[in-house]
Amino acid sequence: MNGTFSVLDASKLPSHAFEHRSPLWWGIIGLIVIEATVFASLVASFFYLRSNFPQWPPDGTRSPELLKPTLATLVLLASAIPMYWADSSLKQGKTFPLKVGPLISIALALVFLAMKVVEYRDIGFRWDTHAYGSVVWTIVGFHSAHVLALVLKTAVVTTLAWRNYFNRKRRIGVTVNGLYWYFVVIIWIPLYMTIYWASYFLSN
Amino acid sequence: MTSHERIQAIDSSEEIRLLTEVWRSPPGFFGWFTHVNQTSVGKRFIITGFVFFILGGVLALLMRLQLATPENEFLNPDLYNQIFTMHGITMMFLFAVPIMEGFAIYIIPLMLGTRDMSFPRLNAFGYYVYLIAGAAMYLSLFLGMAPAVGWFAYPPLADAKHSPGMGVDFYATVVTFMEISALVAAVELIVTIFKQRAPGMSLNRMPLFVWSILVMSFMIVFAMPPLMVTSIMLALDRTVGAHFFTPGSGDPLLWQHLFWFFGHPEVYIIFVPALGMISSIIITFTRRPIFGYTALVLSLVATGFIGFGLWVHHMYTTGLPHLAANFFTAASSMIAIPSGVQVFCWLASLWGTRPRFATPLLYVLGFFFIFVIGGLSGVMVASVPFDTQVHDTYFLVAHFHYVLIGGAVFPLFGGLYYWYPKLTGRLMSEGLGKASFWLTFIGFNLTFFPMHYLGLQGMPRRVYTYLEPLGWGDLNLFVSLSSGLLAVGFLATFVNVFRSLKRGRPAGDNPWDADSLEWGTASPPPPYNFRYIPVVMGRYPLWEHLKNQEVPVVTGIRSDRRELLVTSLLDAHPESRSKMPGPTVWPLLLALAVGIGFGGFIFHNIFPVVGFILSFIAIVGWFWPRQLAREAREESS
Repeated sequence: MNGTFSVLDASKLPSHAFEHRSPLWWGIIGLIVIEATVFASLVASFFYLRSNFPQWPPDGTRSPELLKPTLATLVLLASAIPMYWADSSLKQGKTFPLKVGPLISIALALVFLAMKVVEYRDIGFRWDTHAYGSVVWTIVGFHSAHVLALVLKTAVVTTLAWRNYFNRKRRIGVTVNGLYWYFVVIIWIPLYMTIYWASYFLSN
Repeated sequence: MTSHERIQAIDSSEEIRLLTEVWRSPPGFFGWFTHVNQTSVGKRFIITGFVFFILGGVLALLMRLQLATPENEFLNPDLYNQIFTMHGITMMFLFAVPIMEGFAIYIIPLMLGTRDMSFPRLNAFGYYVYLIAGAAMYLSLFLGMAPAVGWFAYPPLADAKHSPGMGVDFYATVVTFMEISALVAAVELIVTIFKQRAPGMSLNRMPLFVWSILVMSFMIVFAMPPLMVTSIMLALDRTVGAHFFTPGSGDPLLWQHLFWFFGHPEVYIIFVPALGMISSIIITFTRRPIFGYTALVLSLVATGFIGFGLWVHHMYTTGLPHLAANFFTAASSMIAIPSGVQVFCWLASLWGTRPRFATPLLYVLGFFFIFVIGGLSGVMVASVPFDTQVHDTYFLVAHFHYVLIGGAVFPLFGGLYYWYPKLTGRLMSEGLGKASFWLTFIGFNLTFFPMHYLGLQGMPRRVYTYLEPLGWGDLNLFVSLSSGLLAVGFLATFVNVFRSLKRGRPAGDNPWDADSLEWGTASPPPPYNFRYIPVVMGRYPLWEHLKNQEVPVVTGIRSDRRELLVTSLLDAHPESRSKMPGPTVWPLLLALAVGIGFGGFIFHNIFPVVGFILSFIAIVGWFWPRQLAREAREESS
């Protein structure tokens, strides 16, 4: 190589990047796109399988009840609010909400999971009853596993917050955890529409 | 660029010592399990990929031995089924995709002028997942329990009633597990390409190989998840009695839709990186800028999109509505347009030049010949009536080997000869390389061209033998003998690889006078890739550096920790410095934990739960910040 000369002194650049400037942010977006494609495949399978049946849900299975699942959905949606509060406060340098907000979110997510357990304990069909049962149990099971993972992951973030690990500069971990939380909450809406409302309307 | 002061970048041996110390991978046996550098991981992907290529090739030779004479009893039917299934699984899942990713992981950061991938530990994790999955598949073959249902594993043949053994369980869980590796690599490559290009390398200056890897990665992100979903459904059908694909209740065709929604893009996932390799090689060996850069980029992107609209052409004989069949016939024919544009751009690039006919370019020219034949038979089978006639015959076998070997393996071998000096510091033997090319080229055509004819004669695929009076014996014997020639051709390259490690001519930084940044550093590259991150002013940075007396670079990136430069997505404007993680064993532990979850599912339902818990522990161990206090101190300074 020939001689070199400097046109840019990188030492003046910041050593922390946020949001779309950070590679980690893009990484989590990649994860979200992959997972969204997974859920989209499941929803497509739901409607594809439906075309095999004269009745949907199939004979002998009643159409889903709507009230309790809707309440559970509202609980899950609400869980995103404290998360948002924690995340946006940290941007302004306030660390206290990060110690409390995620705990509220975790509690709400656990309530959601408990409601799902109660609901599916006596739903009246199993995954091996018919194809409808297979696809509904898979969607709910897969999403619940996500909520559970979210709870565990956020518990770790909260532990770190209590040990004062995060601050205004070091907050990308909180941002991506929040992003993933919003994703798991928002993706539930089309899933909820599919397995409850679509089943309800298709059966009538 | 902020300042244009001409400061001579001052270099010191102390600085280089520090960089080497910080970026070096730990030596020794236990150190091996902690490597995260992209050069290290990329090389592992490439070597493992070629090992699986050889294993898959041996399986193919066993099949050809069996088919050499009519009513042969060399292999029994069940073993033959296992072997052709494993041949497909090996070549598609364990060779083609991982090796393209391997080349990408090794070359892309060097081409971009950066020091590592965005997520080095994730990179290592992806490799271990791949290794574990591949080893598990071959374990099943050696135990005689490999799947025997084809690499596409159609139910109802693949369901618990018709395939009672563990083979399909291996298939369903290991394939799902394996795709994690591909997805991880895809996301990483996308982020690295988006955020770590050398300053000045705006999107419209990116090398075509980088574009092709970007398109491949996006295709993986959208194609692999449906495969994971459908193979999990198959596993659930088989283990807990779900009814996704049960005829009458579920629908076996759902599998075919989801599988080919992955399976067709899969072909382009393999093929698109090869297109990038071809462009790189043509630019270098004609020593002039490529013709139609924009058209080539647009064709790559168009191929990526159209590739998702073709899956139904694998299902013409399943009884689809006519409208659907017409639509997919049109879409399948449309893919010929971007492919054609690219071929003409390359021809125009070669036109009127006096290229150096070194081995890499020979493989590219071989690609033209073989791929055009494969493309022509592709246009034929894209139409429903013709496809119905030759469906499930050797015509198809001939067609897709022309497309896959011609379209991907030939450019890949060209790429191997082209980048080998960068990986090892030595050139491969040209004489042996040319001999290998001609043997492979002739052997390939003699092996696969007659299969078109056998297919038109009605010889079905996937049969372990055929009757003597059908009169296919002579041609099959000819094909089997030719396959030996093809094998010798490939073998010559592998011999060349080993011989040249010690005896090859030292390559120097840039043996081919190439244009892209990977040739602007030592061969093999130092652990930190570049002493200074170069600044890019055009599409062919090294050629531009040759013209100027001095090379513009970036200074001020810390040498006392793993640090690299993050730039903006469109214009590659410098934004920040990013600290990179060092060697660690956690990726291996996480891969094992996830592997226990998936692999254990074959034996008992409790293992996914165990895997979930173990993975959680491994992830916490992975991300838990070490030395909180020390990091806090660095913060305040």
